[in-house]
Formats: sequence, structure tokens, C-alpha cells
Amino acid sequence: MNLTYETKRKLLGFTFLIPFILGFLMFFAVPLGQTIYYSFQKIEVPETGGMSFTFLGIQNYVDLFATEVSTVDSNVQILRVLLDENSYMLINMPLITLLSLFLALLANRQFKGRAIVRMIFFLPIILGLDVVTEMLTVSTGSEMVQSNGLFAEGLVTRLLVQYTAIPTTYLNPIIQFVEDIFSVIARSGVQTLVFLAALQSISPSMYEVAKIEGATAYETFWKVTIPSIMHIVMFVVIYTIIDLFLTSQIAEEVYNFGFVVHGSKIGVASALSVVYIFNVLIILGLALLAFRKVVSNNG
Amino acid sequence: MANKRQKANIIAATKQSASTPPVTTQGSMTMPNSEGKSIFVPNRGAVATPPPLNQPKKKIKLTNEQNLYMAKQKVGNFSMGVITLILILGLCFVILHPFLKLVPTVLANLEDLGNPNVIWIPEEFSTQSFEMASYFILKQGVMTLAYSIFYALAIMAIQVFISAMTGYTMARVNYKYGTPILFLMVVLAFLVPRQSLLVAQYVYFQHFDAFYIMRLWGAETNLIGNPASLYLMAALGFGVNQSLMILIFSQFFKNIPKELEEAALIDGCGFYRTYFKVMIPNAIPAIVIVAILSFVWNYGDTYFTRYFDPDGQYLGAKLATVFANNDTQKRFVQDTATRLFGLSKASDLTFDAVKQAGVLIFLVPLLAVYLFAQRWLVENLENSGLVG
Repeated sequence: MNLTYETKRKLLGFTFLIPFILGFLMFFAVPLGQTIYYSFQKIEVPETGGMSFTFLGIQNYVDLFATEVSTVDSNVQILRVLLDENSYMLINMPLITLLSLFLALLANRQFKGRAIVRMIFFLPIILGLDVVTEMLTVSTGSEMVQSNGLFAEGLVTRLLVQYTAIPTTYLNPIIQFVEDIFSVIARSGVQTLVFLAALQSISPSMYEVAKIEGATAYETFWKVTIPSIMHIVMFVVIYTIIDLFLTSQIAEEVYNFGFVVHGSKIGVASALSVVYIFNVLIILGLALLAFRKVVSNNG
Repeated sequence: MANKRQKANIIAATKQSASTPPVTTQGSMTMPNSEGKSIFVPNRGAVATPPPLNQPKKKIKLTNEQNLYMAKQKVGNFSMGVITLILILGLCFVILHPFLKLVPTVLANLEDLGNPNVIWIPEEFSTQSFEMASYFILKQGVMTLAYSIFYALAIMAIQVFISAMTGYTMARVNYKYGTPILFLMVVLAFLVPRQSLLVAQYVYFQHFDAFYIMRLWGAETNLIGNPASLYLMAALGFGVNQSLMILIFSQFFKNIPKELEEAALIDGCGFYRTYFKVMIPNAIPAIVIVAILSFVWNYGDTYFTRYFDPDGQYLGAKLATVFANNDTQKRFVQDTATRLFGLSKASDLTFDAVKQAGVLIFLVPLLAVYLFAQRWLVENLENSGLVG
């Protein structure tokens, strides 16, 4: 065999790819195809095992939006659950991005005890695990209370509510946010890490130049720091969106529809999955479009 | 073995040229500027003229305006410092608050929960809630804990190994059309939420039959409830967030200079030798980051473990199922509490206390690993390929 160096390299490199390509076929392409196939079928699982399919057309999708209710709370329609997930995501994504950038900026400053502070700031990588956030919440009665009631009953809130003229319609969302700050912080571990890495990789000479040119700290931040990490901001936004979608309630719904609900509605579960994939891809596409503009404007 | 030694030398040399060259200040001096502050003036290539050492400090007379400016600067710096300090302390407090809040609940006597006199320090200390929690989640004692850690470590090793390989080929072998397609595949695997493929994957494992090959020597097998399914997924690049790890590695390997590979080639290293002997030792920063993330994610994973191996002794999955926030589980935990520990009453507070003791037990190995590894985390951050 007389192979050129390049060809040989490609062949040998391909051996490194075999696991991933096999996995892609087995755990991604085939399941994706099957999910789409299932979503057009009525699937019954008889006692004898196996599955029987009946073609339904788009009936599953119609059912999903028109009649199906959440498996957790039968008063809520699935459509409602989807909309709630999206609005939750759209509110929290910017908050998480900004907060993690803020944490990274603080952790990047020079001060005594920085090692300890960094350690604490990265703790959300651990605290952000689903199971931990879920377990740290307090269940009073039947509903979950994530917040700790620190702020709502605090002095500042009372002063703000009683002695200032700010109407409560504006105050309440802010108070709500401050209350929920832990749930936002818990989701920002990896993002803080990524931002800190980005901040550290900005060349110090950039700051030196800015200083010599007489830029204030404010100007330096907007003209040096932000443009240098803009592409990382985009990555963080994408990661945050995916992370938020991964921990959403939909997984539970899909599983319940498929295997727990009486008469197992595998078809409906698959339809929900397909809708969900499109939902995520559309949101990501929008985010990418928005950022494309910002990034190209910044050079 | 002169050859080997030579190679090592070349590698070392290329390594040095690869990393940023050491900053050699050839000459520099500090000069007082008009405000009396000294600024750093690099003086490249010129003959160094160090400032004379024993010169008495000249007192510079400042005008009123300059004094005002200096004062403003000082006040500004000071207030910035104070604000930063407050912010840092506040954020640290918010992050640590849930843990602090656990103390009075977890350490208290289970009968004494909800005592309105207690804010931070319980009146009576007791380890009851820990005993109960370990009764629920550590069915086989410490072995459960050990098994969970072993599982996370094993998956971590597999994930790092496979992701590094895939990332390497993705970054450094140039397939004309293959590389962009490969990139698209990895990104798609990252973007499509895993739960939307849950049903199909579940059914797939239930009737596991790898590409209809297994039919040749027998029937299909049911891999649900068999940890092999989890290891298989990790080994084929579809473990927890594995596409992200592949992306990190590919970003990292992209930035390694080509000379390193060429040097290895000249020394007679084949493709595999280059990878294992040259690339991997240079990829330590990326490996550290990916390994830490992978360990944390796998130890805390409840998704794969709960759905594909529901009977396994995974601490995270156990926590999530035993202390699920529904009435059945609550009643179950409360009943067990009254039965085993002779409590007169058990309320939601009991449930919470036991649950939180459970999460503390769960967190101990994780925090230990974290404390041990976070030093490397910060050190290797910059070179990890996390940002490219």
C-alpha cells in the first residue's frame, strides 16, 4: 500500500472519530428519526410486549396544543407549560449572563483573599446541579418556596414600600428578583468560569495602552474589556439557553407521557419532543441573529 | 536511546516557543510625572539606566488644582474599594446562605423543629436527621457513596478519553468536507435537548440490538436497569454534556502550534504516538477543566441514572427520588420518621430537615474534590481552550 502522508493521516484520524460517529448514529440520528416517526403514530403497548402502530397524521400535534394537560398539574395545559418555559428562559437568560459577567469581573480584580473569593464564586458549579438546587429549597405546605424571605421581610423593603412613592407594580418584580437571586446565581457557575478565562486572556498591554492614553476605568471597560469578550458573551448566551432548557419541566412531562400516564401516550410524548426541539432551535437562532449584529458592529 | 532524548529536547524547545515568551524587561525606569505619580516606561533595546538608588526623594510642590485632583483620586479609589468589598462580601453571603441556613434545621433535634426561638443555633444538637437521611439514601452504607464516586470517576475517565480523541481529529486533521460536517454534528448534538430524545433512546435500550448485529447470536437484550447503557453512552460520545467537552478540546487543540506536530513527525512519531506522547501531555489544562466539570456533572447527574438505570445505587438519583416534592414521598418519609425514631409528630419540617441532611451527605465528596481541585481550575483556566 502506498499512501500519501495526508491520506494516511486522514485514515488514522478517522479511527479517533469512530466512537463519536457510532454514537451519533445510535444515540442521536436514529432516536431523532424514531421520535419524528412516533409523533405521527398512535402507539399501543399490548400486554404481550412489542408495540403496535397506527398512523394518525398530525392528530398528536393537534391534541398536544388543543386538549392535553400537564401530567404534573391537570389544571395547566401543555401549551401553557411551553409558554411558561420560554418566558422563564427569556427573563433569566440576560440576568444569568450579566450576573456571571459581574462575578467574573469581581473575581478578576486584585485584592487580598482573592483565592478564597474565587473558590466561593465557582461554588455555583456544584450548587447548580439540579438535584442540589431542588434539595436546598424548602417545601412548606405543598408548594416550593425557593426564596429565603430574607429580603421581602427586610428593613430595606419595608422602607421602600412604605416611605417612597415608587408604585408597587414596579417594586414587586425587583423584590421578586432579589428574592430569587440564589436561583439565578446557582445557574451561573460555568458561565462565571468561562468569563473569567476570557478576562484573563485579554492582553495586559491593551489596558496599559488605555491607561497611557488617559482612559478612565469606565471607558476602559466599555472600549477594551467588552469588545474583547464579545464572542464569549455569545457563547455564554447559547450555553445559558441550552442549560435552562435542559433543566426544564418538559423532560418530566415527556417521561410521564411516555411511560407513566395510563395508556402511555408515547405518540404525544414524541410530538412534544419534536415541538420542543423546534422551540429550542428557534430561540437559539434568534439569539444568534441578534448577536451576529452586535459582534460584527464591534468589529 | 539517544533518539528519545533528542526528541524530548525538541519537544521542550517547541513547548517554550509555544507558550508566551518570558517577559524580559530589558530596561525600564520609573519616572515621576507631573502629578507626582510614577508611571512605568518600558525602554526596549536601549541601554538600561537604572535610577540611582540613594537619591533623596525630591518633594514636588503641587498646585492647588493638582492637590484637589489627587484628593479626588484618593476618595474615588477608596470608595471603589469599599463598594467592591461590600459587593464581594454580599455575593459570597448569598452563595453561602443556603448552607448557613441548613445549620439550625439539620443539627436540631427532629422534635424541636419549628421552634420560634431558634434562628441560627439550635437548642439541642442532634444527629438524628443525618441518621435518617443515611437510612434513606445510603442503603448499603458507605458502599453506596463509594459506588457513586466510582461511577462518576469511571465515566469521567471515559468522557475525557473519548472527547479528547474526537476533539483532536476535529481540530487537526483536515477533511475537506468532513470537518465542517463533523463540527455541525457535534453542535447539533449539543443543541438538541436530550430529553426530547428520551422516549426513543429508552425504547432503543429496552430492545438493545446494536445495528442488528446482535440478532446474529441471539435475541436483543434489555439494557434498561443495566449500568452498561450509561457507560456505552459515554464511550460513544453522548454522556452528560459531552459535546461541549468535545468542543472545548477541539478549541484547545486548534491553538497548539503546528511545529510541535512537525517536530514529532521528523522524529519518527506516527499519528498515534504523536497524539499520546506529544499532544496529550501538552493538553493538561484542557484535560483538568474537562475532568473537573465531568466529575461534577456525572456525580450530580439524575437524568441518565434515573431513566436508564433506575435501580442503581446512585446518590444523586436516590436523593431525587426519595425526596421528590410530592405528597406520597413526604408521607413516606414522615411515616418512617415516626416509626423508626419514635417521633411524636412529623411535619413538612421533618421532611425538609432529613432532605437537607441528605443533600449535605451528597455534597461531602463533591466539596472535597472541589476544594482539592479548584486550585488547578483557576491555574489552568487561561490555557484551557475554554475561550478561543
